[in-house]
Amino acid sequence: MKDFRELETEIKKASDKFTNIESINEFRIKFLGKKGIISLEMKELASLSGDERKHYAEKLNKIKDSVLEIIASKTEELNSEELEKKLKSETLDITLSTSKSYGTIHPISQVIEEVITIFGDLDFFVAEGPEVETDYNNFTALNTSEHHPARQMHDTFYVETETDGMPNVLRTHTSPVQIRSMLTQKPPIRLIAPGKTFRCDNDQTHSPMFHQVEGLVIDQESNMSHLKGCLEIFLKTFFETDKLNMRFRPSHFPFTEPSAEVDIGYTKKGNQLIIGEGEDWLEILGCGMVHPNVLENVNINSNEYQGYAFGMGIERLAMLKYGISDLRTFFDSDLRWNKHYGFSPLNIPSIIGDLS
Amino acid sequence: MKFTYSWLTEHLKTNAHFEEIEKKLTSIGLEVEDIQDTGKAYKDFIVGQVLEEKKHPNADKLKLCKVDIGKEKVDVVCGAPNVEKGMKVVYAPVGSTIPVNQMKIKAAKIRGVESYGMMCSEYELGISNEHDGIIRLEEKETIGRSFSEIYGLNDIIIEIGITPNRQDCLGVKGIARDLASAGMGELLDRKISKEKGSFKSPIKIEIQDNKICSTFVGRYFRNVKNTESPEWLKNKLKSIGLRPISALVDITNFVMYDENRPLHVYDADKIDGKIIVRKANDGESFLALDEKDYQLKNGMCVIADEKKVLGLGGIMGGESTGCSTETKNVLLESALFDEINTAKTGRNLSILSDARYRFERGVDPNSTLKGIDLATKLILEICGGECSEVELAGNIKENKNEVSTSSSYISRRLGFEVSDKELISILSSLGIETSQTGDVIKCSIPSWRQDIHGEADISEEVIRIKGYENIPTSNIRPKSKINKNILNYAQKKLMKARHFIASIEYDELVTFAFTDSKNCEVFGDINKLKIVNPISEEMDILRPNLLPNLLQAIKKNKNRNFDSFSIFEIGSQYRSTFPEDQLNIACGIKSGIKAQKSWKNMQTVFDIYDVKQDLTSLIDYLMPGNKKISVSNDCPSWYHPGRSGSIKINNSVIAGYFGELHPRVANQFKIKNKTNIFELYLDELPITEKKTTNKPVLNLSDFQIVTRDFAFVIDKKVKSEEVVTSAFKVDKELIRNVEIFDLFEDDSLGKDKKSIAIKVTLQSNEKTLTENDISEISSKIIESVEKSTSGTVRS
Repeated sequence: MKDFRELETEIKKASDKFTNIESINEFRIKFLGKKGIISLEMKELASLSGDERKHYAEKLNKIKDSVLEIIASKTEELNSEELEKKLKSETLDITLSTSKSYGTIHPISQVIEEVITIFGDLDFFVAEGPEVETDYNNFTALNTSEHHPARQMHDTFYVETETDGMPNVLRTHTSPVQIRSMLTQKPPIRLIAPGKTFRCDNDQTHSPMFHQVEGLVIDQESNMSHLKGCLEIFLKTFFETDKLNMRFRPSHFPFTEPSAEVDIGYTKKGNQLIIGEGEDWLEILGCGMVHPNVLENVNINSNEYQGYAFGMGIERLAMLKYGISDLRTFFDSDLRWNKHYGFSPLNIPSIIGDLS
Repeated sequence: MKFTYSWLTEHLKTNAHFEEIEKKLTSIGLEVEDIQDTGKAYKDFIVGQVLEEKKHPNADKLKLCKVDIGKEKVDVVCGAPNVEKGMKVVYAPVGSTIPVNQMKIKAAKIRGVESYGMMCSEYELGISNEHDGIIRLEEKETIGRSFSEIYGLNDIIIEIGITPNRQDCLGVKGIARDLASAGMGELLDRKISKEKGSFKSPIKIEIQDNKICSTFVGRYFRNVKNTESPEWLKNKLKSIGLRPISALVDITNFVMYDENRPLHVYDADKIDGKIIVRKANDGESFLALDEKDYQLKNGMCVIADEKKVLGLGGIMGGESTGCSTETKNVLLESALFDEINTAKTGRNLSILSDARYRFERGVDPNSTLKGIDLATKLILEICGGECSEVELAGNIKENKNEVSTSSSYISRRLGFEVSDKELISILSSLGIETSQTGDVIKCSIPSWRQDIHGEADISEEVIRIKGYENIPTSNIRPKSKINKNILNYAQKKLMKARHFIASIEYDELVTFAFTDSKNCEVFGDINKLKIVNPISEEMDILRPNLLPNLLQAIKKNKNRNFDSFSIFEIGSQYRSTFPEDQLNIACGIKSGIKAQKSWKNMQTVFDIYDVKQDLTSLIDYLMPGNKKISVSNDCPSWYHPGRSGSIKINNSVIAGYFGELHPRVANQFKIKNKTNIFELYLDELPITEKKTTNKPVLNLSDFQIVTRDFAFVIDKKVKSEEVVTSAFKVDKELIRNVEIFDLFEDDSLGKDKKSIAIKVTLQSNEKTLTENDISEISSKIIESVEKSTSGTVRS
């Protein structure tokens, strides 16, 4: 029996000549094809006896493995060369681009959601009421009788429908939601009510439609100090500042007693308002202890229950926080403005993530 | 309310600095709105005397003057026609600022001649509109003296905002009283001599209805001279922005602003018979001091004589009995009018007056006589004459307002301990007398405080005087949860919708809830939506639909060179002006260029399929899970009838619409581009609140997926959806998906025919489908589609 040395030399010789995939294929057919040298040798082994056959088969299998290995490694080598060549020719101009546009959330919606997030964390729920209100809910139930001088400061819009003989109005504040909620819910109550409000006034600093958020807390112990605590957490969180100069000063609203207006300190650095610091004051909201008459009007015993209420302008919060200078631009539908001041729809205010 | 610091100190003895008083005013609820230090503004202006006056060499209208200003003599070029030698003038030196225009005076050459400073007119100093010539001061004025001293301008003018409850602070004395209560000094009690009067008033007074007027005090003065007021009085009124008129009128104004006591003077010679206070009758009219004729209505309070209406009680006097320089005999009125009646009358006739402002807020019932006394003193001093005895009609109300409270109530409301002692001491500083029985403290409210009715009001007084800065801060985080949900289902739906729509490229707008009725007939019944007092004609109704304002927005932005619009609004629209007729709507518009022509793509424009997709995926997002969404052609009239659809969920309610804006409506809004809109009635979406947090069971098959394509020729009018549903229903288990991948219309297919090609995806949960299985189901699909569409399969 031969010792295959010749075969091995032939393999080595042939394997040096690879130039492309075809030559590898030829090489494979030459040695491993049906009529290939190794395959024929394998067949011949059948005529040998036991031990001898075993011995030669082992040898031949080794040679076969080495051929397979050569094929694999050479193929890999050639493929890789081929790919390198291809990659060199495959170039795109990466300075070209396509664009994708996103929509925006209006700053009023953004601020309302921020406010809800902060108060939600303090266990307030969101209450609602209609934008057209009865005179009773908007005024009378809030301790503002028909001829109260405070009514004239409200510049009310009237509509042609009536309820109980009084013309309905476009609500002048979100406070009637207090009345609606207290009529349907027993204390303890903790709510905020954001929404549209209307006053018949239109100039640089007044819009006939604007937004407010109302807050109401009624239970057995909430007092002025809780009101102060509540507003302090809210304002600090909202303006995303640890420093907050806050000033309460007496004011008057028919539906609260004592009543207060709240100012926050600010300074101006260039064109920027820095909220919280400084000795100049900005009026930010009105608040007070709910007037006992209001509680009695909604059948809540004012000897047992008490609490506080507050109301603030959403546009004002937005203007101060986001540096928007003109109130009227909110409703102007100038898309340049909306795209500039609007927020990403993915930017949902949250307590764990960012507020804004 | 305006007053001056010097006026305040006539009532308040204080050692406090002005800055302290300013802070205190705000901290007790009398918010300081403006401060003008006129002493500062006028500090540079002094008295000068013109020594020489000659013609300017280069200008006809200008004069060269040499002016003595005390420490030196300066050259001043002057253009005033009235300048003359020897005249005493107000001189503004170089470096001073002219109040009216904030111009800074510099040394300058005027037409070639040096000029140092300026001589001023009243207009330039901001004192009056007089600008015909410079001020001529009296001969006796000393050269070099400060001008502000002469005009009484060496003062600080303070303007405070008075909330509607603080009627007691509508006079300087009331403000002083409140400051004294807050520890800013001592209230000075001005002693006013009471004149008894030397004769009985010839004019009697009769109150016919004491509900509208409970007190009327009158006093007759004879042989008065209604001259010009003295300087001090004129300056006082001028300093708070009032125009001096004549001594008698000025005196009543002074008493009103000083003591918060409105008065009125009648020319007594023009009164016929007695004074009658009564309700007006319909049809009566009266010419008021503002020279307007008012038609009176039944119930208004009038002051009349036996023949005519003389005035509207508590609001305004009449022209017929007004005082002039000829007036010799007068009747002085100090009365108390009903708050509500005054408010009603004032509002009804739209008269704003200082008197109305005070009476509708409530005037101290005990001030009638004090007002008479102060005015009497001033009239006799300034106008001379003699006064009658006081004539009183009605009665002076006794003050019976009492409130009981306790320190525990006050403490509970304010959030910190207030002791009995502290409570009583604060109340007493406010003039509230107290008596204590056990824990109960009975408070007797002084007549000038018409706003204190209950315990809550007492709590405000306490904290106001103690200072709001002393309120502690308490934690408000509750021990146990009060509210299960922060947002309810409907509120969450709105918020989700907003973010979803913005995430598919729409910009959110917030537009007015009003709109212009002219463009809105198509959207609803505009007669049910009218606003009685709209801000403008373009905003005369509540919007019946969100579209009008959004379409206006498109129009506006088109003019700003936008050519691609994806805008939306979520808000309310109204069916009527009843509170319950408000609906929550999400409305989106896509119009114009969808993708600009680029190096990569051709330009594409938005069409109704964009908004349809947006609407259905929005519904999918808001209502996850199984539901049947069906589309039909019945859309409201603002949609293009052939290019719009309504969306029904689970075959019940119509939840929304999509389509192209009707060309007629587009035309009305002057919009030329095709406008694709969707509207979703958020309130109509069926509630699909999660019953479980578990997701539905997931069944996955690992057997091979097979797809087969089919094309059918069908009538154009047959809806393509029919092809899809008829294919689907053949085998709901094996058929996983049916999709239209081609739509082809050509005459070669036959008249009014179209070809629809679908790709059907098949997969079994149990086995790999054999060729036999597939061809069996394929022929079933062909059969089913052909049958329900009357079409034929294309081979």
